Amino acid sequence: MRDANAIDFWRGLALVTIFINHIPGNTFERYTYSQYGISDAAELFVFLAGWSIGIATRGRDGRPEPALRSVLRLMSRTIEVYRAQITVMAIALAMIAGTALLLDNPLILEWHNAGTFFADPIQTIVGVVLLSHQLGFFNILPLYVVLLGIAPVFILLARVSRIAALALSVGLYLTSLVEEWNLPSWPGEGDWFFDPLCWQLLLVLGFVLEDWNRRSDTLRRWARRLMPLGVGLVLLGIVLSVLELRPDPLLVPEPRLIFTFDKTYLSPARLIHVLGVLLAFQGVYAVLAPRIGGIVRYLTSLGRNSLAVFSMGSVFSLAGQLLRFWTGGGLLIDLIIVAFGLFALGFTAWFVEWRSRKPRIPT
Amino acid sequence: MVRRVAFPQAADPDVRAAPPGRRPLLLALTLLVGLGTAQAQEPAPEAARPAPTVVSPPTAPPAPAGESLDPSLSPECRVPGSKLYTLAKLHAVKTALKEKRPVRVLAVGSTSAGPGASASYPVKLETALERSLPDVDVVVEARGLQGEIASGAAERLRSMVADVEPDLVIWQVGTHDALARVELDAFADALDETVKWVKSHDIDVVLVDPVYTASLAEDEYYLSIVRKVQEVAAREGVPLVQRYAAMRFLSGRGDKGEDHMLGRQFRLNDLGLRCMAEHVTRAITLSLLQPDTTGTAGPVLGKSLLPSPRDGAHGPQVNPTPDAH
Repeated sequence: MRDANAIDFWRGLALVTIFINHIPGNTFERYTYSQYGISDAAELFVFLAGWSIGIATRGRDGRPEPALRSVLRLMSRTIEVYRAQITVMAIALAMIAGTALLLDNPLILEWHNAGTFFADPIQTIVGVVLLSHQLGFFNILPLYVVLLGIAPVFILLARVSRIAALALSVGLYLTSLVEEWNLPSWPGEGDWFFDPLCWQLLLVLGFVLEDWNRRSDTLRRWARRLMPLGVGLVLLGIVLSVLELRPDPLLVPEPRLIFTFDKTYLSPARLIHVLGVLLAFQGVYAVLAPRIGGIVRYLTSLGRNSLAVFSMGSVFSLAGQLLRFWTGGGLLIDLIIVAFGLFALGFTAWFVEWRSRKPRIPT
Repeated sequence: MVRRVAFPQAADPDVRAAPPGRRPLLLALTLLVGLGTAQAQEPAPEAARPAPTVVSPPTAPPAPAGESLDPSLSPECRVPGSKLYTLAKLHAVKTALKEKRPVRVLAVGSTSAGPGASASYPVKLETALERSLPDVDVVVEARGLQGEIASGAAERLRSMVADVEPDLVIWQVGTHDALARVELDAFADALDETVKWVKSHDIDVVLVDPVYTASLAEDEYYLSIVRKVQEVAAREGVPLVQRYAAMRFLSGRGDKGEDHMLGRQFRLNDLGLRCMAEHVTRAITLSLLQPDTTGTAGPVLGKSLLPSPRDGAHGPQVNPTPDAH
């Protein structure tokens, strides 16, 4: 078990934020930072994932591990994430169907994109397994599967030249933005909610910056100097989101995705905003850590076990949604849901670590 | 301005027999609607007097076997017009028809047409629209829209509209917000604002309100969501497909036909999905028959939650050709 660190802390915070934001309409939603910026927890999460890959594919001395081992490591992680997505989708569909039956209410079957599955299971189950059918709120892991799947290309290239890896990544990002490349949804029309061809840039940025940060203190010095810029961007983000100011996608010039605040394609405004957030909050962990030990321990435990916590969090937030719908919601219900959820996320993290410590029972 | 057209239980045959019109555009709008649909009104000499607009087939008790009531809606989907839609003008679609270019439609919401359907909802919709608008090429793009209108979905809808650049957006709205029990006013404001935005770009909107199911019939919150969709449609002057009212009507009909393993509500839900393409097509084709004049026309018959249109309307100047009969 690694010690508490800033990466796990922020990742833990992103996980809690995603859990709360995935129960739309709940009272606590408005207290999450996602409501006060152009980017949200998803950006933070993917960037930190890239940063962690940088750490994971090197030895303690900072030397990169053998290429084949890195490829196998990423492949193994891809499979783990894929398995989590399939499991969570099965549970989610069963929860939706079960609630519809229990409440004799077919409206629930129309829950964010689930209707396709229930009306046309033959095609849709194929789509589920291919990741081309995604339920609303269950679309981050498919993104992550693709990102981890293509990560070896960038990581091995970065060992030769970080600039080349970054150039490839930026090139793919810009082309996808201009040409509106995205992976298709199927069955049905439309595209993925998170476009991996664009979002890969955040992962690669995380990875490359981690590498740079380790090699020299240039990045740290510049990051400190640019902190006021980061704070400015964060303040701008607050103003824009509170006043609901954003470009009209039909009025901006072509290629319009460059100018809009589009989440699917990670449009530049969101990218710049998340970089601003990173600049603004870079030193916050060091200030907070000694003062809020309990919270730091809690959040870092979530961050260390992010896949399990994220997966269970998706299931808990769906349960929270269904419970809110059934009971009609209200402050008390929201309080119970969020309190239970935070406890359950912490328990998940603890349980995963307990399981890995425990010697396996011989069979 | 929304005009509601309501339908007496038995359409007046005289009204139905209105003479065909001569306007070329509207010839193109020939409806496949049967008796009583393409009701037209005489180019009104007494323009100030509202004339009854009768658009729908007789409703109510299912016809005796063998008698064809209305070829435009399949028997299982037959609902009186007052329960099915409120009409309003569709300028952008009319312009596309005038310019003889394909009509681009963005269908937002569930794309399913029910289990075991002959085709998906967008395919059915495209087919039904092309059948109703002969010689017109209709291109339907369908997109699921996850999330709540009151939070991020309104923004995503804008991106979708910018992406597809349609003439018409058919928007099934309210389900996700109802499931999340978002604040009613937040929902209504966001919906209103989004509809305004779409209209401001000379794109037509048709709203489709959420489904009816018995377990929510007494749910005040859910009814309010349905009502908010109706209010926004009225305020913004866009046609509305009253899926809630239509399904409620269908649920009250004698329960004939096959049972559903999971009970009546699931059977009704499947029926609602199956009928949606027809119901939407019906509202659109009839809305296209709305006169171009800015005044209102036609009295409102039947009860509705919507405010009454102003009086002193101009007579409609539309004479659709009921070619089906």
